[in-house]
This record gives sequence, structure tokens and C-alpha cells, in this order.
Amino acid sequence: MKAKKLTRRTLAMIGLLALGLGVAVAGTARASEGSGSGTGWIRLAHLSPNTPAVDVYLYSFGNSNAMIVLHHVSYGTVSQYQEVAAGDYSVAMRPAGAAASTEAVLSASVDIAPGHAYTVAGMGPESGLRLAVLDDELTTPSGQALVRVIEASLKQRVATVTFDGSMIAHKVTFGSVSSYQAVPPGTGSVAVTDGSGHVSSQVALKADTVHTLVVLDGTNGLETVNLLDAAGNTDDPVGGVATGFGGTAPHGPSSPVPWLAAIVAGLALATVAALRLRRPSRRPISQG
Amino acid sequence: MRPGRLAAAIALAAGLVAAGAGAGGLVLTRHSAAATPRTPVPALPTPTGPIAAPPQPSDAGQVAAPVSLTIPVIDVSTKLIRLGLTASGALQVPSTTSVAGWYTGSSRPGATGPAVIDGHIDSYAGPGIFFRLIDLHRGNRIYVRRADGTLAVFTVTVVHMYSKNAFPTQKVYGPTPDAELRLITCGGVFDPARGSYLSNVVVYAVATR
Repeated sequence: MKAKKLTRRTLAMIGLLALGLGVAVAGTARASEGSGSGTGWIRLAHLSPNTPAVDVYLYSFGNSNAMIVLHHVSYGTVSQYQEVAAGDYSVAMRPAGAAASTEAVLSASVDIAPGHAYTVAGMGPESGLRLAVLDDELTTPSGQALVRVIEASLKQRVATVTFDGSMIAHKVTFGSVSSYQAVPPGTGSVAVTDGSGHVSSQVALKADTVHTLVVLDGTNGLETVNLLDAAGNTDDPVGGVATGFGGTAPHGPSSPVPWLAAIVAGLALATVAALRLRRPSRRPISQG
Repeated sequence: MRPGRLAAAIALAAGLVAAGAGAGGLVLTRHSAAATPRTPVPALPTPTGPIAAPPQPSDAGQVAAPVSLTIPVIDVSTKLIRLGLTASGALQVPSTTSVAGWYTGSSRPGATGPAVIDGHIDSYAGPGIFFRLIDLHRGNRIYVRRADGTLAVFTVTVVHMYSKNAFPTQKVYGPTPDAELRLITCGGVFDPARGSYLSNVVVYAVATR
């Protein structure tokens, strides 16, 4: 009787223990990480030769407080890229020093897609100033460089641009932008010709980089500015990285099966034995 | 007591002992399966030195090569060795687990593009240089000192864990229009059969202006 009681209680306890363990083991599953970060880039520029300096404001759509304000941006200035959450934005220009509450001279909306970059530039003559939203390329054909031209010169309203003799942009007119051209990487001479003006300068175009050449009115004739729009790796590594040997990883027998087998076998043995202990009491005790 | 009853009593005791040992073993092994704890450490002092003006868009790429890396909030301070690609095209890793390395095919930290640095989470015996990389959060600062003594300062934007089977090469290594940094180590589940972790931890950071 005592053995039976003990067995029952022990069975119950072991059962509870096993149940608890099952829950604990199931609870070690890891939460997985989220995905994409959903950001893009924007930069702001003043490329109108006869427009005085401006203050440039960047607003997240529907928010009257500016995210970014660039003060006293003069002709030829291009900001650095700013990484922002993807979504709708507006860019406004006011005369330099004007209060943020005053009406903007010019504004434009920009839809920033994740992983994309944009240049928002004040372009054209002051009388016809407009904000152009340019899609900036990030990736190049493998091993190549990409180049485009922004014509922002009133002194020479048409420009033809070559890199080491090969054509990059043919007869780009004032206030317009050529499409990107792939060129073999290297250091070479960029020449701006057409009309009366002519300027050439040495430019390094590395593999897997994207450039915008801006033709500007300089104090003496033309100037070209070489903007780096994006840079990638010379060779992108393949796949993941083998940066661990497991010394701090969870360790020990990874399978609970042997232990569970011991529990089950032990309980079976104990149960059979308990039954044997109960049964013989009906037989005569004395044998002699 | 009859021999049969004695045997049964012994069997009962033995069965209970076996079951108890099984339960105990299960508890103990589950308990020891906890990973090495990431104990908080006092933050390193912030490095000081001339912070190179962020590269102008027109002359980016002219910065000096990186020589050391400091991440005060997770107590990382290491020289940076130079890494290339393996024969199969994968990113090389440092030959010791106590230093990190910069991939020479990537941008120099502070120049336009994603600069790539990797390091081990652990050795066979214990924590490696990037053991606590996964503890970084948005807003944490990362400092890279360059050969000319200048500092490039980065701010963490996001930390992701990716399965090595589905590593997003373009997202991690793809071109960027600004100066960014990628710190890479291992993470997730360790597969003893393969002798490697199944995932990579990638920290994304951008140059601080």
C-alpha cells in the first residue's frame, strides 16, 4: 500500500516535472529579425547662375517644421547626401535670411523611394527658376564608371563634354541634364567645348563610381565640378562571412532524447515493479 | 521478504533513480545550454583627435586608410588589419579572433561608399572582438582612426541579422551616395555539424556630420 502511494505521488511529480521541462525547452526558440531599413538619400543644390543665395528647407510631407535647413546656399553649392526615411518630402527655397514663416519662392515635392538617391536643384535663369528633382544612379555596370553632365552655365548655354576624347554629353543646353554614360575607369581629361568657351580639367573616374559633372560659370570663364554621386566596392564579396568558431555558442548535448528515454524507461520499470509489489499479498504468507 | 518482492522493490527503486537521473540530466543540460553571458562593461573613453572634415562631394575618396577601430559602448578597441576576398569570392576574415579587419576592396572609412569591416564573434574557447556587436543600437557611435591620425565618426542606424543562406549582398555591400560603414560578424544559432554560425549580424552606420 505504501509503495503504491509513493509510486502514484512520484509519478505525478515526475509528470509535472516533464511537463514543465517541455514548456521550458519550447520557450528557447529565437525571435527573428525584421527586414529592410527603408531609407533613401537626398541632396540639395543651387545651380542657377544669376539667382542670389537662398535658404533651402526640407520638410517631411505634412510637417511644417523643417527637417533640414541649409542657410545661405549660393550658386554652385551642392550639399552632401542626407539619409532619410523613404516617403514624401517637399523642398522649399526662400531668399537667404528670410523667415521660415514667409512664403517660399519655390517648392517641389519629392517621393523618396527606399534605396534611391535624389538631387533637388534650383536650375535655370532667375527669371525662370525651377526646382528639378533628379534621380541619381547608384550602381554601375561592373568595373565601369558612370558620368552625366548638368549644364548650369549662362555664359555658354550649350556644352559638349568629352572624357579622354570619348563623348559623354553632346550639346547639353543650359538648365538641362544629360543621361548617365558608362566609361572605362581611369584618370583623364574632361573637356567642355562648343560655342566660344572651352575648359578642360583632369578627373579621376574610379571603377564602380558614379559622377555628375557640373558646368558652371566661373569668375574667369567656365568651371567644371566633379560630384561623386555614389561609390561601391571594387568586388562585392559573395555570400555570408565565416566569423565564428562557436566558443560562446550554446553547447552541451543538443538533443534531450537520451534524457527523456531515461525518464520513460525508469518510469516503466518503476511502474512494473510497483504492480509486482501489490499482487503477491493474496498468496499465503507462510510456506513452512 | 520474499526474493520476488525484494527484486520488485529494487526494480522500483532503480526505476525511480533512472527517471530522476533523466529528469536531472535534462534540467542540467538545458541550463548549461545558455550562451556565454554578455556582461555589461564600463564604456571606453571616447577617442579624441582631429575629426577630418567630411569629404566634399567633389574630392571624396582622398581620405587616408583606416588603422584602428573603437566602439566605446561595447568596449571594442582594435587595430584594423587588411582583408581581401577568398578564392571562392567570400569576404576574408582575420586569422585571429582578437582583431577586426577592413576589406580593401571597399571604401576607406569616411569616403563615399560603404566601408566594410568584419571580425569574429568568438573563437573555439571564448568571446572574439565582435562578441557584443549585436548589442549596438541606433545612435551608438563608432570611431575609425586613419593612418594620418584623423578620426572618422559614424552613427549606427540599424542592426540586422541575416541567414547566411540568404545574405543580402546588394543591401550590405551595394553602392551608397554617402560615407557609410558596415560591421559584420556571426550570430544566431551555431551548427556544430558545420562548425559555423547560421547567421551574420550586420551593423549599418553612417558618417556623422
